[in-house]
Amino acid sequence: MTKVRRQPVAISIPDRRDAALTLGPALLVFAFGFLSPLINLAIESLKEFTPGRVGSVENAAATVQNYYELANQAFASVLLTTFWIGGVAAIIGQLVAFPLAYFIVRRISPRMRTLTLGFLITLVLSSVLIKTYAIELTFGSVGIFRPFLLTLGLFPNSREYINIVVIAGLVHSIIPVATLTLIGAMQSIDPRLLDAAQSLGAPGWKAHLSITLPLSFPALVSSTLVSLTFAISAFVIPMVLGRGRVLFMSNVIYTRFSDIANYPSGAAISLVMLAVALAVVAVITFAQARRVSR
Amino acid sequence: MSMRSLAARTGDRIAGSLAYGVIGLGLAFLAIPLVITCVMAFDARTYLGPMPPPALSLHWFERLVSQADILASLRTSFILAVLTTALSVTIGTAAAVGLARGNFPGKAALTSAFLSPLIVPPVVIGFGLLLFLSKAGITNGMARLLLGHVIVTLPYCIRTSLASLLGSDQRLTEAAMVLGATEGQAFWTITLPLMRTGVVTGAIFAFAISMDDVSISLFLSDPSATTLPVTLVSNMRAAFDLTIAAAAVVLIAVTALLIVVLDRVVGFDTVVGQGLFRS
Repeated sequence: MTKVRRQPVAISIPDRRDAALTLGPALLVFAFGFLSPLINLAIESLKEFTPGRVGSVENAAATVQNYYELANQAFASVLLTTFWIGGVAAIIGQLVAFPLAYFIVRRISPRMRTLTLGFLITLVLSSVLIKTYAIELTFGSVGIFRPFLLTLGLFPNSREYINIVVIAGLVHSIIPVATLTLIGAMQSIDPRLLDAAQSLGAPGWKAHLSITLPLSFPALVSSTLVSLTFAISAFVIPMVLGRGRVLFMSNVIYTRFSDIANYPSGAAISLVMLAVALAVVAVITFAQARRVSR
Repeated sequence: MSMRSLAARTGDRIAGSLAYGVIGLGLAFLAIPLVITCVMAFDARTYLGPMPPPALSLHWFERLVSQADILASLRTSFILAVLTTALSVTIGTAAAVGLARGNFPGKAALTSAFLSPLIVPPVVIGFGLLLFLSKAGITNGMARLLLGHVIVTLPYCIRTSLASLLGSDQRLTEAAMVLGATEGQAFWTITLPLMRTGVVTGAIFAFAISMDDVSISLFLSDPSATTLPVTLVSNMRAAFDLTIAAAAVVLIAVTALLIVVLDRVVGFDTVVGQGLFRS
């Protein structure tokens, strides 16, 4: 990084005016559109819920009831579903993304590389809605994968079938993101290391196992966690593909809002979800800090 | 040939074919659903039947453009995406300049704060905004949507602009000013062109994200302002027919167009180097 370093100096008057001019609008949007809603969400989550009202009553009593209610089995199973389906999808995503990233970095012509990268970036930028619909069309009642799943003994209305379709939906979004993340790490591995290992007699697979894998391991860990964060905050994929039987945390928030208008409870779940997301990000940051220090 | 190298070569062959198998299956898994969607959009049947369609026709597209609610939401989505992009790019570029050039305590903290909407689940942002804006008395659907979309696209614009600014040499701007350019002239003729790739990347991301968002828009839409993805989701839940496939083809075409622009103006390697994603 060719970061230009300046000695820190006391803020002079024009500097302060420049800072206000350049950073002011972003600060305003951030404070009004992001920080205030989150603080309000925290306050709302501590308000008593009055059925039949939109939002809490003006001076509703403070209560931890909304959180207390989450400590039941129904919500625990939603949390568990979110994590295990998200976790499985994140891992399958890496299993495909890792060799794919290596292939793109080392094994293909520049032309093919541009095409493959273009395809992956198109997938990243195209609507999650389209991908979800495409998965439903492929695995659903007329889909070409349906007979395949049927021969495996999975019936369309079984929980396992729906789980697999939701996982497929998540993996479809995870592979492109994970591949593009891993490409960065693979590019910084010196290919001569592999050549050296092989000319010293190591078979190719062993050379990859003892060079490519360890050198890209930190990137693999953060890519897995980034995929996991994506999966646990997924909304459209479980909503459409889960057919109401597989619920993620975000789906429960939406139900609290749209079906029963229990905003305080929705706010409490939002805060739990936020805490979960921040915890995963903290782990990523920790993993990256270790990578830098090594 | 020794036994050892023979075993090694067999191992390599197995590992190699395994890796190629995974890559092939993976790419097929990514491409097949999209191909199926594109083919099915041209299905001549009036119901959802199995692949392949017996005949092709454009009637799903005709149905798509004959639905008033879809056209209205497409219009809303487009206007919203243009406004979001304009606002996000302007505010984000300014903020990036401020962050890169300013000398003040807490700069690093401020940078992470600006990027933090990326790590908050979109549903939480949408729900939080809904509650807050209702309390604040802002009921205009378009205004709500615009704020929600700017919040999630701004971090991208700041990040890509900041990356290209830090990657460029600030001494060029200083040289221009030493040679007599005013601060404004130096900014418009030197600094901004140097930031071009970051600004363009940010703009394309902002447009694509705004066009596609469901999680936030579902909370903030109202009957006067509903975006295309929101209309499509409710159609999808009501009746699963192929008008959505037709809509998907249109949206894929728009995205592919953006990607071509991205490659021409910026180049994929730059984009991949900057890291793309909301985590």
